[in-house]
This record gives sequence, C-alpha cells and structure tokens, in this order.
Amino acid sequence: MSEERETRLLMISPSSRLTPEMLARNIHSMGVEVGLKETCYGCLIEGRRESVLKVAEMARKLQGNSVFSKRRAYRMGDPVRCRAQHGTRPGYSQLEAEWAALPFIEAGLDALDKGEKYKEIPAKEKLSVEKLIEICEVKL
Amino acid sequence: MTIKIAQLSCGTEYSSVQYEIDKAARSVGAKVVYPDVSAADVEIAVERFGFRPRSNQLKLMIARAVQLADGNYAADAVFITTCFRCAEAALVRNEIRWFIQENTNLPVVTYSFTERLKASQLLTRMEALVTIVTRKELLARERQAGITAGLDSGSSTTKAVIMQDNKIIGKAWTPSHNVVESATHVLNEALAQAGLEYKDIEAMGTTGYGRFTLGDHFKDKVKLIQEELTVNSKGAVWLADRQRGEATIIDIGGMDNKAITVRDGIPDNFTMGGVCAGASGRFLEMTSRRLKIDVTQLGALADKGNWRNAKMNSYCSVFGIQDLVTTLGDGKSFEDVAAAACHSVAEQVYEQQLQEIDVRRPIIQVGGTSLISGLVTAVGEVLGEKPIVPADSQFIGAVGGALLSSGFL
Amino acid sequence: MKVFIDPPNSLILFDLVERFGHEPLSTMAALQERIDNIEVDMPPMNVTLDDVVSGLKYAGIEVPSGVRGRLAVWGPMIEEADAAIIVDDPPFSFGCVGCERSELMVKYLIKRRNIPALRLTYPNSEEEGKAFVGKIKEFLEGLQ
Repeated sequence: MSEERETRLLMISPSSRLTPEMLARNIHSMGVEVGLKETCYGCLIEGRRESVLKVAEMARKLQGNSVFSKRRAYRMGDPVRCRAQHGTRPGYSQLEAEWAALPFIEAGLDALDKGEKYKEIPAKEKLSVEKLIEICEVKL
Repeated sequence: MTIKIAQLSCGTEYSSVQYEIDKAARSVGAKVVYPDVSAADVEIAVERFGFRPRSNQLKLMIARAVQLADGNYAADAVFITTCFRCAEAALVRNEIRWFIQENTNLPVVTYSFTERLKASQLLTRMEALVTIVTRKELLARERQAGITAGLDSGSSTTKAVIMQDNKIIGKAWTPSHNVVESATHVLNEALAQAGLEYKDIEAMGTTGYGRFTLGDHFKDKVKLIQEELTVNSKGAVWLADRQRGEATIIDIGGMDNKAITVRDGIPDNFTMGGVCAGASGRFLEMTSRRLKIDVTQLGALADKGNWRNAKMNSYCSVFGIQDLVTTLGDGKSFEDVAAAACHSVAEQVYEQQLQEIDVRRPIIQVGGTSLISGLVTAVGEVLGEKPIVPADSQFIGAVGGALLSSGFL
Repeated sequence: MKVFIDPPNSLILFDLVERFGHEPLSTMAALQERIDNIEVDMPPMNVTLDDVVSGLKYAGIEVPSGVRGRLAVWGPMIEEADAAIIVDDPPFSFGCVGCERSELMVKYLIKRRNIPALRLTYPNSEEEGKAFVGKIKEFLEGLQ
C-alpha cells in the first residue's frame, strides 16, 4: 500500500463551531474506508490516496470553509512524530502558528463564495521627509 | 532510570545525523527529548534572551533553552548542536550554552556537526553526561581505599597505576599497540613496583579508548568502566590536591583534547576536541621527529626559544611542520622552532575548544603532553596564567580509575 | 499543474493550491517518498548522507550540511514545478523551513527557473485574508 498510502491532517479553524469529535463523527458517516484519529486540532486520516482525497474534499465543505487539510509524511501514530515520545518536533510550532491564522483564510474563502472582490491593500510606505518636517513643525 | 538529554539543535534532521545522535544517547541508556514550547512562547523567549537570529529554528532553540532555565521542562542534561560552518548558529549555540549554565545546574555539551557525524564520535560525550547525572555520589569520592588498580588505554600510550590507602605504590606506561598486551605489560610492571601480585588487587577501573576491551579482559577485577572525561578529571584533582573549589583541567592528548571544568571535584562542563592532529600531542611528536630529537627534549628546547621568530603559515600537522622545517633552513634556531610548535598547539587548543567553556582558575594541565614544559608555558601564555602540572600528571586516567573503583569496595 | 509552495510545509498554501485544483509540491510528499521507499532507515526524516552529498549540486562544501540537506529535498521539486507561490518573511516557519539561508536559496532557485511565481505576505486581518486568498485564486486560474 506504500505507493498509494496517504496520511493527512484535517485542521479546524479556531473560529469554527465544529469540534474534532463532530468532524470525526461526520467522517465516519461518509462511509469511505479510511483510518481516523481524533486530535486536538481536528483529525488525522489515513488510507488509500483516492479515499483520503475524497474525505478531505467532503470535510472542507462540512461547515463553511473552516476545515483545512495537508498531507503528512509520517503514518498515523508513528512514534517518530509522536509528541508523547520526546516532546514536540519543530513542525508542531509551525502548525500551531498557521492554525491561529486560519480565520483570515476562512474569511477570504467565504468572500470568494459570495463573489466579493478583494481590496488591494497598499503596502506600508516609509514616511517622507516632507511629511516628517510637517509633523515636527505642528508639534512645535 | 532513563536519563533525559534535552536536545537544542538546528539542522540535525536535514544532515542525516539525528539518527546518530539518538543512537549514541540510546547506547548509554539515555533518551533525547525536546523541551515543549508553544509558538506563542517563541517571541517572548527571544525578546527576553535578547539575541534575535534570522533563522526561526534558532529562535526555537532559544525558546527551548528558556523553558529549561525556567524549570518548566524536566531534563537531566543538555546537548546543544548545530551545523558546522554556520556562523549564525555558532553564535546562538554558544550564547545558549552560557544561558543554560548561568540558569541551571544541568551538565551541558555543545557540538557542531557535519553530515559525516557518526554515533561513535558522540559516545564519550554522551556517556560523560550520563555519568555526571547518575554517578554523582561516586564522583564525589576524594580518597582511595584498599588496593586498587587503574588502567588508562589511550590512543598514544597505555598507563597503569596501583594504589593503596590513598597513595600511588606502582605506576608504569608504554606506547599503545595491542590494547590487552599493552595493558597487561604496564599492569605487571606497576604490580612489580608495588611488590604485589594480580590476586592482591581488590578492584580495578578502566578508562580511555580501550576501556571496554580491558573491562572484558580483566572482568574478574574490573568494577568500573568509565569514559575518560569524568575519570581523568577525578585523577587530576586528586593529583593536584584540588578536590575542593573550582578548577579547569586541560588534557592535550595524542588524538583529542579535553577541557573540563570541575566544582568540588565533580565535572560540570567539558569540551572534547575533534580529531585534529594540529591541535594534539601528535603535532609535537611529528615536529620532534622532523627535528630528529626525542619528544621529551622538545619542551626544554622550546622554553629557551621565542615562537615569534619562527613563522608558521598553517596549523596543519603536514603544512605547519613543513613551515617549521623551512624556517630551520632559513637559519632560525631549533629553540625558536620548538617554541613555535608548542605555541601553535596551544593556540589551536584555545581557538578550537577553550572558548567553549568558562575557564576557571586554577588551570591544571595533565596528560602526557603536560611533561613537555614548553607546551605548558605556551598554554599559560595563551590563557594568561601558567597552569599547575601535578606530579605524575600523565597518570590521571589510571589514578582516576583506581580512585573511583575503590568506591565499589 | 504542479505548484511549489514556500514555506514548503505550509498547511495554508498546501490546502489552497489543492482546493483551487492544482497539485502542491510540498516537503511532506518528498519526505513520505523517503520514508516509504528508501531502504536505509535514517529516522526521523530519512534524509540520508547521500541526500546531503547530492545537495552539493546546489551549494558548495563550505555551506553547512543542514542547508545542503534541505536543498536536496526541495531542489528537485523546484526543478519539477510549473509555478510557485512564495510567502515572504513568514512569521512562523519552523522545522524544515527554520533555516534562513536555505530559504534565501529556495527563492533564488525559483527565480532562476523563470516560472510564474506569486509573492505574498501572510494575512494579519480578515481584509488581508481576502486579498491573500483572492490573489492565490487568480494566480492559479491564470495558469490554466
């Protein structure tokens, strides 16, 4: 199965009303043959690539745009990755940080669904010398 | 009890060396762990630490060090390691080491690796970390009791010592060839000096590269097989009668060097040089051979010379020695060349290693090379204080073995 | 199309590329191949000595091993990519992306391949999130 094996993590945005338990229940009820493990951030799923992709696709549509997914190199429960074995590996902090930004991505996807046009956000520019002089003089 | 060694590192997993680190730790009954940090802790930790590297993995190292310093994560020892040749990581590695030592009592070892690192290179270091944690009581022993022997199987020489009631009553050394034969030879000689027989020995301790082989060969007597970092430091403080207070022990060996700091005779930090002939006793041996003198004459010659007169463009044992010979051809004196060779080794040891530890006074120089007075002078010049060289300084490992093994009687 | 993502382990980028119908090229996939198929077991990453040596293709021997090992994983993916999405100065990039020097080299290798590339910064608000997602969608649609 190694060539076809795919392990994925499904992560729930912190702004979602979905809980990992609800997500797990939903996946069970999809009737697709995948292994599943509930985690603090969502679920880990593992199985044949096509089944895993199918579940990921369906999970993304469960509750607005609040479920996200990426592949994982290691099998579910691999002791090499397991936090309980030796503490967290660096990738954990990465996930934790991206998790916090998911509501902004969710907002972006929701806006697309509604057909909203995004606004170009101008990059912050440095204060011009003229402007600085102006401010200084006002203060004086 | 599994000893938890907290690893603070960058690059190990992408240099094919993490497996080797884990393997080395496992083989000495330890386990590598990573202090837990949350992403939010990282920024706070970096701010507090005050060094802001560009690489985020280095920030994570800092955050993990802060967790250890604050006692939020329980570990027994610390291993700090980063890629060789990475300047950013080298700065962080060293500052983290300071930080851990200032804020915890954990033994620390630092290492910069290349992709060629093998578990065996880390073994002695990992073993010493574990010994310091698990054998604190044994390491606190200050007096030898009964009749015990110590065997030190080094890369250049093999040494034996017989001790009775806290005194050396027999000692011998020989150049190393076959591990067991060399050891048997020196042991018999030391026993003869002591007027004793093998059966009189109550306990024996082995150390050095051949410690396991000897431990197996003399298994009826051997009570202690221990790496040379902790054993040598015990031998050194016993010989120098500096069992209390602080000291730094410098042992420039035939193949690698050790610099160990001790507090009340118990090592709390150490560095061990990689294999570089230019920073070892081997350099002086090779120089002597090229000068066609015996290595024992080199020290006295060096004391009469001035290293500044002999120009060396390289520290390397091949090119550096070539430079010295060329200098000789230019009409410089043997004395100056000998002094330059000693200075070169001292400077290399200083540059490669001594900056990794907090050198504490007094400095005790030991090992066979401490008999080369010119080298001791050179080390003193480089460090700003002349080291103490105790009598029988070449027997530290054997003395340490005899002293510590008496703890099992 | 195959889209290289940078940071190559990003959940957000992996998800969005896939969601919009393309194939993300990620560290996860490259490492899975090593974990599942390589005979030599060098956990945790299975980046082997051979990998680090093959990284010499991208950087010389005077470059630290960790940089060469990382480039050995990412380099072939960059060579295979049809396009790339790069997030500049990610505030969070730990693990495989934790080395700044390797990251600089990745951006340069993408530039040298001359493939379509989108450069962004991570969003810090909903408005920025909308622009972030909108731009990625436009970029990916433009590839077809």
